[in-house]
Amino acid sequence: MSNGERGGISRFIRESAVWRSLFRQPYPTTSRTRALAVMNNVFLHLHPVRVKRHAVRYTYTFCLGGISFFLFLALTLTGLYLMFFYVPSISRAYQDIQVIEASVAFGSFVRNMHRWAAHLMVLTVFLHMIRVFYHGAYKPPREFNWVVGVVLLFCTLWLSFTGYLLPWDQIAFWAITVGTQMAVYAPLVGAETSFFLLGGIQVGQDTLLRFYVMHVIAFPLITAIFLVVHFWRIRKDGGISGPV
Amino acid sequence: MTQHASYGPVHGPPEGEISRRGFMRRMLGVGTGLLSLQFIGGTIAFLWPNVTEGLGAQITLGTAETINTAAPQWAEGLPYVYNQANLFFVNVPAGQARVEGEGLVTTPIPDPGDEVVALWRKCPHLGCQVPQLCEASQWFECLCHGSKYTILGQHRDGPAPRGLDSFPVSVVDGEYVIDTREVVSGPPAGTTGFDERTTDSIDHCTG
Amino acid sequence: MTIEKRPNATADKNVPTQAPARAPLTTPGTGPKLPGPPGVPGTERFRLLAYVKQESMVRVDKRPDETLLTWPHLLRAEFVMAMLISGLLVVTSVFIRAPLEEMANSAITPHVAKAPWYFLGLQEILSYFNATVAGVLVPAFYLGGLAMIPFIDRSPYKAARDRKLMWVFFMCLMLGGLLVTLIGSFFRGPAWAWTWPWIDGLFFTL
Repeated sequence: MSNGERGGISRFIRESAVWRSLFRQPYPTTSRTRALAVMNNVFLHLHPVRVKRHAVRYTYTFCLGGISFFLFLALTLTGLYLMFFYVPSISRAYQDIQVIEASVAFGSFVRNMHRWAAHLMVLTVFLHMIRVFYHGAYKPPREFNWVVGVVLLFCTLWLSFTGYLLPWDQIAFWAITVGTQMAVYAPLVGAETSFFLLGGIQVGQDTLLRFYVMHVIAFPLITAIFLVVHFWRIRKDGGISGPV
Repeated sequence: MTQHASYGPVHGPPEGEISRRGFMRRMLGVGTGLLSLQFIGGTIAFLWPNVTEGLGAQITLGTAETINTAAPQWAEGLPYVYNQANLFFVNVPAGQARVEGEGLVTTPIPDPGDEVVALWRKCPHLGCQVPQLCEASQWFECLCHGSKYTILGQHRDGPAPRGLDSFPVSVVDGEYVIDTREVVSGPPAGTTGFDERTTDSIDHCTG
Repeated sequence: MTIEKRPNATADKNVPTQAPARAPLTTPGTGPKLPGPPGVPGTERFRLLAYVKQESMVRVDKRPDETLLTWPHLLRAEFVMAMLISGLLVVTSVFIRAPLEEMANSAITPHVAKAPWYFLGLQEILSYFNATVAGVLVPAFYLGGLAMIPFIDRSPYKAARDRKLMWVFFMCLMLGGLLVTLIGSFFRGPAWAWTWPWIDGLFFTL
């Protein structure tokens, strides 16, 4: 229903009942609507309406926490794509990876992205921790959030480690064999821990299935829960920490 | 009677005694705690590996005769590699003769009776696959991190904390049956009594 | 709207309907100066452009605004960073292939068996100490020590010079971890023997 005017269609869309049921105010251009835009949107509501001036400086945070979260999202998405072509069975897993690399459109690209993003995430999480330490941001009232951060560091490492086995090639097999053997050295329950993690005495079909389940659902879920707590506590602890 | 900040005096039992409400609350806490423990315990029990074949089960290896057919050098002390369960099946008297004769066995021993050991090929250091006996040293020499073991699995060199792990073997109707459900930890490092050559005195396959 | 030009955050909360819509809002001291003798303090002259009703007279202890609106300032920063990282990932993924070796085979141990790179420091330590120390105490101390930092360092000061001990502790963890990880990654080869990467080549897979 264009009346020939410039922007007729877009205005028709913006004035339609559907559009206005989605967005409660026009494009935010004033302080009031900008505040409302953040407050009324569940995703943007992760942020407070106003942030401290230094918080948006790249040289204060280097965006390391944000980058880590962004990589987590990117890994979730690329991982979801890969799941469509991957069966966690020792007779199929390796072939599936080869098929993804050779036959699936953009398959190699998605797999590469998943792998490089994973390594990068381990790195940025560590750097984020160093940045937070540098600013003394673990001081009260942020002690608990630092602990949550350490838990998230562990989750990141564990997600990466469980994913390492899934291609079922020689690097994967022996890296996991060597890695889980370290658990055997734990006192009292070391051998049991290893047995439980591997689903048997040595790396095999049960290990692959266990690692797959931990990698694609259990630990992403646990990590997401701790991420929610982490972000929530940032706001409840008074926003991002101040400069030294 | 205690004073509450915003509600004024609160009536309750005398100091040191527990009120009925307090008791109920504690019991509720204890009950929830027990339930959580039960849940965790049940989860671990549910997820506990259920191994029925291969390593982790009872394995029948066959008689000494079948092993000799599959691996003729077994009678001369060369360990029989049983890949399905990742084992070295060592003919102990023949193995000892082989080490002492530095690889030359004059009288093969085709049936060692129950003098056998089933060594697990997994290096107790970090789990690498231990290769077949090194010809130069008559030791098992792990490629990954250089741990070295005698033909009976005693630790001689390298970073491993102990000798090769093994599994109990029994002879049922002349057939060797290996129980891989339970791992017997290898002898501690420094165990002597056999093959006491030093690392420097012999040649090796790995560094 | 002209509200954003005002230096005070709290002013955003009550949109002053009394203010004339077109007149620029100014407060004394920040308004446009009329030409006066340059560089001589106290000689500037001001012109009253608008009269804004304040919520109260008591504004003296409120400092100048130190906050920005999330939309657009923070979101713009996040968007730029997300695009940069996406670009980096896309370029990396197009040009560098993720490693894939032969199919897993439990019967063939490769000459170099290494854990993922972030565990190579641990694996390196395992070659120095006995297994329980290296395999259990070190990682437990590492993660536990990290988690305990806020409860060990109870001083309220944030500057580095006021928490020297904590800096030493943290730097020991970080640099020590970095050192053993680098050694484990690049200076260890077959049989975990010492190798020089520029002579013997790299024994490292990501």
